[in-house]
Amino acid sequence: MKGYISTLLLLTLASLSYAQSINVKGVIQDSDLMPIPGANVIVKNTNTGAISDFDGNFVINNVSAGATLLCSYIGFVTQEIVVTNEDSLVITLLPDVAQLDEVVVIGYGTQRKKEITGAVSVVSNETIEELKPVRVEQALQGQVAGVNITSSSGSPGAASNIQIRGISTNGDSRPLILVDGNVIEDLSVINPNDIESINVLKDATAGIYGVRAANGVVLIKTKTGRKEMPTTIEYSAYGGFQQTTRKIPVLNASEYALLANEAFAAGGQSLPFPNISGLGVGTDWQDAIFEDAPIFNHAISLKGGGKKSGFSVSSSFLTQDGIVGRKKSNFTRLTKSLNYSLDILKNLKFNTGILFTATNKKNLPENALGSVLFNALNMDPTKPIDGRAIGLGGEVINPLSQIGATYNRTKVSKIGGNFGLSYNFLDHFTVQSNFQFNYAEVKGHIFNPITDFGLQDNTDTVFDREVNEVIESFNYFRDYTFDAFIKYENTFNENHNLNVMLGTSVFKTTGKFTGDRGFQIIDNSISNATIELASDVEDLNQVLGRDPTFDSRLLSYFARVQYNFKGKYLLSAVMRRDGSTKFGPENKFGYFPSGSIGWIASDESFLSDSNTIDFLKFRASYGILGNDRIRDFGYVALLNGEGTYVLDGQLIFGTAQGAVSNPEIQWEKQKTLDIGVDIKLFDNAIDITADYFEKRTEDLLVVPQVSGLLGVSSPGSGAPTINAGIVENKGFEFAIGFSKQLSDNFKFGLRYNVTTIENEVISVSSDGAFLTGGGFGIGQDPPSRMEAGFPIGYFRGFKTDGIFQNQSEVDAYPTINGAVQAGDLRFVDINNDGVIDDDDRTDIGNPLPSATMGLNLSLDYKNFDFVAYAFASVGNEIVRNYERNQRLTNKTTYALDRWRGEGTSNTTPRVTTGATSNTLFSDYYVEDGSFVRLQNIQLGYTFSDGAFNNKNIDKLRLYVSASNLFTLTEYRGYDPTTSSGAPIGGGIDQGFYPNPKTFLFGLNLKF
Amino acid sequence: MKNFKIKLFLISLIVVCSCSDDFVNVESEDENSENFFNSEQDYQDALIATYDALQWTYLNVMLGEIASDNTLAGGESATDVPGIQEIDDMIHTPVNTQLRDIWGFMYGGINRANFIIEFQDKTEFADKNGVIAQTLFLRSYYYFELIKWFGDVPFVADKRIQFGDQFDIDRTPKAEIYAQLEQDLIFAIDNLPTVQVETGRVTKGAAQALLGKIYLYQEKFTESASVLESLISSAPYSLLSDYSTLFENDNENNVESVFEVQYTDLEGAGFGCLQCSEGNVAVGFNGIRSYNGPLFESGFSFNVPVQEVVDEFEDGDLRLETAILDIEAWSNETGATYTEGNEHTGFYNRKYISRQGDTNIGDANLTNPNNYRAIRFADVLLMAAEALNRGGIDDARAQLYLNQVRERAFGNSDNNVLATGSSLTNAIYHERRVELVGEGHHFFDLVRTGRAAQEIDGFIQGQHELFPIPDIEIQLAGNRWCQNPGYTTTATCSN
Repeated sequence: MKGYISTLLLLTLASLSYAQSINVKGVIQDSDLMPIPGANVIVKNTNTGAISDFDGNFVINNVSAGATLLCSYIGFVTQEIVVTNEDSLVITLLPDVAQLDEVVVIGYGTQRKKEITGAVSVVSNETIEELKPVRVEQALQGQVAGVNITSSSGSPGAASNIQIRGISTNGDSRPLILVDGNVIEDLSVINPNDIESINVLKDATAGIYGVRAANGVVLIKTKTGRKEMPTTIEYSAYGGFQQTTRKIPVLNASEYALLANEAFAAGGQSLPFPNISGLGVGTDWQDAIFEDAPIFNHAISLKGGGKKSGFSVSSSFLTQDGIVGRKKSNFTRLTKSLNYSLDILKNLKFNTGILFTATNKKNLPENALGSVLFNALNMDPTKPIDGRAIGLGGEVINPLSQIGATYNRTKVSKIGGNFGLSYNFLDHFTVQSNFQFNYAEVKGHIFNPITDFGLQDNTDTVFDREVNEVIESFNYFRDYTFDAFIKYENTFNENHNLNVMLGTSVFKTTGKFTGDRGFQIIDNSISNATIELASDVEDLNQVLGRDPTFDSRLLSYFARVQYNFKGKYLLSAVMRRDGSTKFGPENKFGYFPSGSIGWIASDESFLSDSNTIDFLKFRASYGILGNDRIRDFGYVALLNGEGTYVLDGQLIFGTAQGAVSNPEIQWEKQKTLDIGVDIKLFDNAIDITADYFEKRTEDLLVVPQVSGLLGVSSPGSGAPTINAGIVENKGFEFAIGFSKQLSDNFKFGLRYNVTTIENEVISVSSDGAFLTGGGFGIGQDPPSRMEAGFPIGYFRGFKTDGIFQNQSEVDAYPTINGAVQAGDLRFVDINNDGVIDDDDRTDIGNPLPSATMGLNLSLDYKNFDFVAYAFASVGNEIVRNYERNQRLTNKTTYALDRWRGEGTSNTTPRVTTGATSNTLFSDYYVEDGSFVRLQNIQLGYTFSDGAFNNKNIDKLRLYVSASNLFTLTEYRGYDPTTSSGAPIGGGIDQGFYPNPKTFLFGLNLKF
Repeated sequence: MKNFKIKLFLISLIVVCSCSDDFVNVESEDENSENFFNSEQDYQDALIATYDALQWTYLNVMLGEIASDNTLAGGESATDVPGIQEIDDMIHTPVNTQLRDIWGFMYGGINRANFIIEFQDKTEFADKNGVIAQTLFLRSYYYFELIKWFGDVPFVADKRIQFGDQFDIDRTPKAEIYAQLEQDLIFAIDNLPTVQVETGRVTKGAAQALLGKIYLYQEKFTESASVLESLISSAPYSLLSDYSTLFENDNENNVESVFEVQYTDLEGAGFGCLQCSEGNVAVGFNGIRSYNGPLFESGFSFNVPVQEVVDEFEDGDLRLETAILDIEAWSNETGATYTEGNEHTGFYNRKYISRQGDTNIGDANLTNPNNYRAIRFADVLLMAAEALNRGGIDDARAQLYLNQVRERAFGNSDNNVLATGSSLTNAIYHERRVELVGEGHHFFDLVRTGRAAQEIDGFIQGQHELFPIPDIEIQLAGNRWCQNPGYTTTATCSN
């Protein structure tokens, strides 16, 4: 519709033409009505012309009426306009699909995608609309090479872990996320319907964002109204249900009793089930807890613009129940946003945006020992649905009773906003300043009723509680960012394009934690569970020994020079000076340079006539980025430890030192190299991007194990943060896309991307030092390590070599502590010293995939649209840690293949209640976590323009969608895609809440 | 004009945000440890934190019993807390979480004490010597624990051990450490009151008892007897007449308690940080598995006494019922139910198992309020008797002290010991074992008197007298220290 405006204008103007000399002025914009600065306007067949300014305006004096203007800009179709009078022209350039037209936000400005010299991936609005993600992360999953997304849980509202090009730090490996320039920590505050595009900066060119860009930058641009835009209303909604993707096969009651008897007999104990007949299949605890759960979402937005202003208003509401516990794990999200931009003067622009989010999340214990799913897998199947957990060890209870006794909710209200002013002066200068803020209130309420899950009147499980408690917390967080920068843009001698920017940025984040804990709630009832009605109320900060406030800040200065010659030879250099409150006076400031070069070979004469190659660009970047994501005040010894004693029978709160300090800590430095190529072939039908990258993180900020002499195990204390170690990630990214309009009715698109990453720890503090993390079983050493020569967080344990078949095999082979018999796992004597001990523990798995890939297919046929996408992960391992291995806990069905005598099994050890080394961490518990998942298929139908008599309706589309329909994997747990995301300790499955299978029906409506 | 104003506004914006580098100088709201100790209160607050570490000795007490021939590890299964099981079986190695805990906890306490000592001259106030005396007592208590467990240990007495220092501290011969502890405890004796206003604080008597004990461990019998007898002869301590009430929660800090570690059930705790508990963690661990009945509460069935220690009690010894719970008999008597854990012996350490009547908040098993009677007057009497006897000083007085304890135990003087010389020594050893069973002393009594190898299964002479320093701790301190003898180790000491 908008595209016709200029044509109409042109026709109108043409009819009025008559010859005379006139002054022509006008504005050049794109189809989104964004002004195009730097466009060429030339009077045809003359040397007269102009270049549009920052606002797309141009003026050419003394043009003969009836002359033709040639209006051109890279990436757009050149337009010819006949001018007849002095009326202001609005020239809308249509994108040239044969060109790279995308404008990419690159930090304090935008750049044509063509001229970008860094590794930047773009998820367009179109892709987002295709994917219909409920969460923003889902729009990135499998779409962008080099971006790996795992979810920490499939429960509603759970956070995702985003990793860009692997794990390069053992600390926080999350990328920097900016929404319209505003830093956010949690993507859940964004309604995916509001997103226009997502750009991911993956290499050193992210360095312009300085601190915290070392893990990459995700830039999200939201939809907003523009000048002269007709008012539109869009409504979209979907609803559907979710169900679990998998149940883990566990023993039924009869099988369970049989194996329990066998184990007790082997341990020399009397049989727990003397009579097995009649036990039947018993209770299927997974059936009991998994339910189909509904999900609904509505979103409405209003956009428009006047002569000088544009606006958008939107609102959305999502409610989602969990597949475990239904309403007990419900998540709701309400968002409201407002964007407004105004040209105060011709050269002074103002924009503002406000985003309000309110979420309410209820939680069940998950992915931990004692979580609901863990209990469902381990609970005694002979017990009825309301049965007690007897003799299962203190950590396993009836999962249904557990759900019933769980009451918690977290309400987050958050408002974020930005104000920006941009002033354009002396033709080539722009000064801009932006202020962004976030304020969030987090209200938590937990009620832990009196519970008795095991033996009656007995605190025999760790979940039993004889006194109820209520915890109410109120925390707030606020931050602001203030940026100001000045830009100079000019072209010299037609061919030398220069863009220089100088700027400064300050960031401050503060917060306060408050809360109370109280006891003795009357009637043990949730309705009485408030602090006001509780007794013995205590201050939560004191109980937790935490600092009630924090204040951390950044101060940065930066400069950037971008230069290109004829738009063909590209050069960019950035220098930043960042200061952070995280470091002591000596090391507060760091200097971080980065640079990149590019060459658009396809613009060279020897390629410009090629019929095959439409576009070819080589690019390279290198830079040093800083990271300061560590706790506050690590450089000074503070008195924030816990030192409480009892005098006269009363608690007395003393003063103790907190974490051990290290005055020497300084910036972690990441040195990043990227070499890439972008190619478009065969009339742009094929699009290829390939990158090789190396990321080397030095002066790694780690919290290592340190000597006990330092007092680190005192309550409230802890190890210091130190700079030690080097981690390297090397990898290759390749993305290829094919897209073609095959006929008038049929459009076909196929995209594939693959990323390989090789992660290696080069060193960790001193020689032979290592860091540990994660947990396996109870009371065992942490299974994950960071150690030189291995991938970060590799699994360290015993290697097994089958099962001892008889006593002579046991006698002939070194064993552990002499407790081994036939039927037990045979641990390999790695160092051949004749004993099995800690030194024989070795690398038995890597939680990091060696390759991840995504495949997308889209088809448009007449009014139908279809999209399917899958992603895969290859080479990562997962630790099976959802088995409690107690005498009477249930087992998964592979236990049926246990060793029962010589030759019966060489893979699954015997069952016994006696002391056994089989429960020690070994490769028996490590499984291949590779998978291929069909993440989404979606079929839509858009009604033709004439389908409705109602002229108000511009567009109506209905669709059905199925997410997470199937997963091909050999992994036996719930979901191979989930991970805690911890650099050391990731990939350990304690009964992950699986990502549900979701079926949706939805509609998009536009007025 | 309008334009000018706007320009001015924008330029001022730039100026405003061009903050000085001071913007990133933020002081924490928490006090900096270098700027503390400006008032008496500051010293008192730091002292409370030093006391806190006493509560972390629950593990020392529990393992001191399990390592001996008094009890078995128990627990739920043979793999329940492997570090404890291994110590029970004398197959412990330099990789042991619990030994590392003891090491770390005691140095935690020492660092808190040394924080005060480092700044002891900063601010003057009236009872400064009293504060320093308490500090030195506590530091001596923690170092003494380390010596008992590990022998020669890294020793710093004038300042905190800060990050970086750990690479420069060698193990100090225990004789040198003892010399400093003696000096510190003498200062404490001179500067502490006999009775403290607040119950739970260290008294002069506590310092005397600890000094006497340290002398005894060094076999300095004369010095030991002298300081212990001066404690015995002065008020206010005496034996409680009824042994059966000694360990009940309503009889804490009684007249027999020379030094008592204070615990409470007023604040909850979790498994994530056992040392953060204000309760006695050992009590829940020792408790009866899946118990349901009167008086007691459930626990994790660790630290279960063996028949042999029950048999050590003579006929007519009234202490047996208080010290050892025969769970079968109790169950028959009261109808109480329980389940059998690992290495079930039928006996529980009745002095320190959970009892009903506490608030049961937090994790009820980890927040039992039972105070640990660290040094009882009975212990003092027996130590004095031992010093007098083994030092060849005065067997008559040794008998006197020993028989005070026995008279209470039997309710009469019919069972008084009249032996002298080595028979008297053995009688004292026997008496220590039964009087103090379940209180964490026995393993160290056996070791210091050279009887461990003959009494403890699996105990290897020349090795098990000391526990291994955790290998990881040796590595983290720069591999300066050699492992204790007899233990295979991955640590490589440089000398």
